[in-house]
Amino acid sequence: MLGSTNNIGKYYVYGSTLISAFIVFLIFSILLVNSWEAVTTIGLDLFNLNWNPATREFGIWSMLFGTLVVTFIALLIAVPLGVATAIFTSEILPSTYRIVVKSLLELLAGIPSIIFGLIGIAFFSIWIQNIFDLQSGRTILTAGILLSIMILPTIITLTDDAFNNIPSKYRETAKGLGLYKYEIIKEVLLPIAKPDLKGAILLAFGRALGETMAVMLVIGSIDKIPDPIYNWLSPGQTITSKLGREIAETSFGSVHFSAMIFMGLLLFIIVLILTIISQNSLKSNGRLYE
Amino acid sequence: MNRNMKNRLFYISIGLAVTICSLILLFLFGIIIWNGLPAISLDFLTNSSTNFGADGGIVYQIFGSILLILFAALICLPIALGTAIYKSEYLKNEILHKILNTLIYSLNGIPSIIFGIFGLIFFVNLLNMGISWIVGSIILSIMILPTVTLSTYQAINSIPTVYRESSSALGLNKWQVIVQVLLPQGFHGAVTGLLIGIARAIGETAPIMFIATAFSGVELPSSFLEPVSTLPTHILALAQQATNPVALQNAWGASLVLVMLVIIFSISALFIRLRHQSISKS
Repeated sequence: MLGSTNNIGKYYVYGSTLISAFIVFLIFSILLVNSWEAVTTIGLDLFNLNWNPATREFGIWSMLFGTLVVTFIALLIAVPLGVATAIFTSEILPSTYRIVVKSLLELLAGIPSIIFGLIGIAFFSIWIQNIFDLQSGRTILTAGILLSIMILPTIITLTDDAFNNIPSKYRETAKGLGLYKYEIIKEVLLPIAKPDLKGAILLAFGRALGETMAVMLVIGSIDKIPDPIYNWLSPGQTITSKLGREIAETSFGSVHFSAMIFMGLLLFIIVLILTIISQNSLKSNGRLYE
Repeated sequence: MNRNMKNRLFYISIGLAVTICSLILLFLFGIIIWNGLPAISLDFLTNSSTNFGADGGIVYQIFGSILLILFAALICLPIALGTAIYKSEYLKNEILHKILNTLIYSLNGIPSIIFGIFGLIFFVNLLNMGISWIVGSIILSIMILPTVTLSTYQAINSIPTVYRESSSALGLNKWQVIVQVLLPQGFHGAVTGLLIGIARAIGETAPIMFIATAFSGVELPSSFLEPVSTLPTHILALAQQATNPVALQNAWGASLVLVMLVIIFSISALFIRLRHQSISKS
């Protein structure tokens, strides 16, 4: 009797581990199988400029471009802002207040993305529209700014952890040599924290690529590369916003559906690679960064 | 530029960044509360929505959200518990451990919309379950699986080895040690993980919007295979009719309720974690 419960327990833990491990493969193979039709019938034309299901043109290039530009804008704003704020919380702010800042950041990270979307529609897009005198404020830039706010907590928390993990003897020694705070941070602490910082930015990059709701509501959803290419005040489209807007209206099993899934697969692979690299460069183990 | 000047410039730029971040934080919470509070009343919380959500309350949306996350937690818990026990007590191979870790981190990193697509293809179309709330619960349970697994694993793994050795010396077999010694000590990790996971899952829109929800006209589901309406998808529907001021006000009200729910779950997780930390220290 005792032995049998022991065995049942063993099978239970083996089974649940297999399920957990199997899910990632299941998702990957489902995406692969369903995008196969698009790959075989359309082939390299998938990377064309035009997306028009009526004429059976499924070029994902403008979505890919939109995704990269929006993420680039978000990182351009969030990385300097986040790293500077993290330097403040870990190096300048007295450590008793650190828990307060951390809780505020968790609160900020906990705001659901749909609410960011609502704020984007109600405020940001109207501000952009008025400032730049546009017809519509739903542009690539709006989405980038909104996204930068959403990834800010991730960058601040991880960078703050990275600085906080450095033993204080480095600071004391450097201070004893007569270095200014600026020099301590630039010459001593930054080089030590560099791998963690890299991990933090890569993770934020992955998060930003996969963000859907907020981007979908403010980007304008037009499958075009802006003309000229650096005109970020025109509407665009990202992979996620395209999927969010169109997949429910696409009939299952068609080439159109398959091409959509192909975009999803591409996003899946990019984000997976980023996640794995960043988890390897973040030294502190066993924690999940969201 | 001398060193002192550089140092001062550095302080100024840091101060500027901190001010901007604080203003953003203040702005976000300010407008959520400022716009949300006028919309919230007892009627709003206890009535069903009418006129495609533009009028009326959000009681069925709150119910739908709670239903989804409750079942997501129920589905997730046994699998996460088993995986955590295996990872902590059975798995000795270093390489396998690394592979399992990578898989868990990968699952955690997958963008939420991909889960939605996966659910649409696999459950809704291939398994032919249709748009139903149980599919939403399954997908959300997959999303929170890494969080719950790792939180449980840490709680179980941090129990000192002497507990395992003493109870084995008393003649308990491995499974008895796990059930009677390790689980009571480590279960708080699972609860913390579940609460954190739920706080994240309840606000998710992208994974459930085409597999589990309908935008309007939904009341209580009478079976597992019916759609529900949830707070995030309700906000999405209202946000798209942003020209209607009543609809927009309802959207802000629903947002405030959603944020409150998220905060309640996060704070309970924090309390459980703090309580167990202070016990283990004393």
